[in-house]
Amino acid sequence: VTPNDAIDDLMARCVLRDQRAFAELYRVTSSRLLGVAMRIVRRRDWAEDILQESFVNIWHHVGEFDRSRSAPMTWMTTVVRNRALDWVRRPKMEVPDDDLDGLVERWEDERPGPQALLGTKGDIATLNMCLETLSGQQRQSIALAYLHGLTHSELAEHMKQPLGTVKTWVRRGLEKLKGCMDAAGAT
Amino acid sequence: MKITDPRARSLLAAEYVTGAMHGGARRRFELWLRSDPALRREVAQWAERLETLDAQVPEVAPSPAVWEAIAARVDPARRAVTRNDSAAASADRGGDSWWNRLGFWRFTSGLSTAAVALMAGWLVIAPPPPVEKTVADVRVVVLNDAEANPRMTVSWTPDAVRKDHVRLRVRVIRHDTMDPGTTWELWCLPKDAAKPTSVGLMNTDHTQEILVPASLVPALERASGMAMSVEPKGGSPTGLPTGPIPYKGAKVEL
Repeated sequence: VTPNDAIDDLMARCVLRDQRAFAELYRVTSSRLLGVAMRIVRRRDWAEDILQESFVNIWHHVGEFDRSRSAPMTWMTTVVRNRALDWVRRPKMEVPDDDLDGLVERWEDERPGPQALLGTKGDIATLNMCLETLSGQQRQSIALAYLHGLTHSELAEHMKQPLGTVKTWVRRGLEKLKGCMDAAGAT
Repeated sequence: MKITDPRARSLLAAEYVTGAMHGGARRRFELWLRSDPALRREVAQWAERLETLDAQVPEVAPSPAVWEAIAARVDPARRAVTRNDSAAASADRGGDSWWNRLGFWRFTSGLSTAAVALMAGWLVIAPPPPVEKTVADVRVVVLNDAEANPRMTVSWTPDAVRKDHVRLRVRVIRHDTMDPGTTWELWCLPKDAAKPTSVGLMNTDHTQEILVPASLVPALERASGMAMSVEPKGGSPTGLPTGPIPYKGAKVEL
């Protein structure tokens, strides 16, 4: 993972219309951002379209990025996420219904264990630690919503629970997460 | 329409960022965002919190054609050749949403009066979803070291008494070496400067459970936080911490 400082530097050069900095910015961030889009739209061709549109936007609006508000990677991720969410929420959009349980299980498996966390940045360690304090259902519903772009009603359908129950899982989970991360001084 | 309750604001921001909020609610929220800088900050904080999730899922390398298409659209030298293609492409996509124009974090003005009037009417007939009140049911202590790095969490549900016991979940995230012949003891710290109460002994495992008698719940409920002390094997001989206290933290009720 490229440190935010390096990305910030590249973005500053993009403001000055430095095409090489833009190419480098793409090189160091595009795989991660394509991963973000892929998890939401679940089709490579769509995800690559979203990536293309996002980077064209980033190039044209990089001057509006406010570093006092958010980290560069968060800003770029937000651009891609919003475009991907917009994409899947278009009426009549059929998102391939692959095995969501498998996706979440894999995510649970891939979450770094204590050994891996030794070397990670404080934020990641804190987030993981705080995720551990949630119930499995809360953790799963947040992962499905955030990582895979499921709406409340899609979550309810997928988890075979009433809408109200699922909304409560998400809300309680998010509140707990915030409480824990604030307590750990992460944000 | 203004949302003023801080808890509701934070939750709505969180649901917006996760994407769970959608349809009309999402559009209304985006309208509020335009005129509410504090709400935008809330959204930015949530984006920051949750973005960490993206940092640990698999990356996917894009095919070379993606960069070629981008470069063709941003490089003025190449744009002349491909302008027609890209114009067609963006027309195809039906224009940008307001946040795709990336004024997102800073956008505060520029709405026409008519649009504002329209919005106001719309918001009145479509109030925000109510945030249900829930009772606090989980306690979490994040124990930090002297440099404020989180080292472990202890969490429990005070109501979940099973067979006269309450289960404390301990997650050790990063720890120092446990010296031979010593053990670690967890203490709850009362609010009123009274003596700490021993919660139990622990080890360096990532995931542990400590079963405490239900009779200890009142002390846990009164506690302002927890601390971990280094003790001789078998635990403190005096009933009070005797060794160094490397980690401690405040209790939060969630």
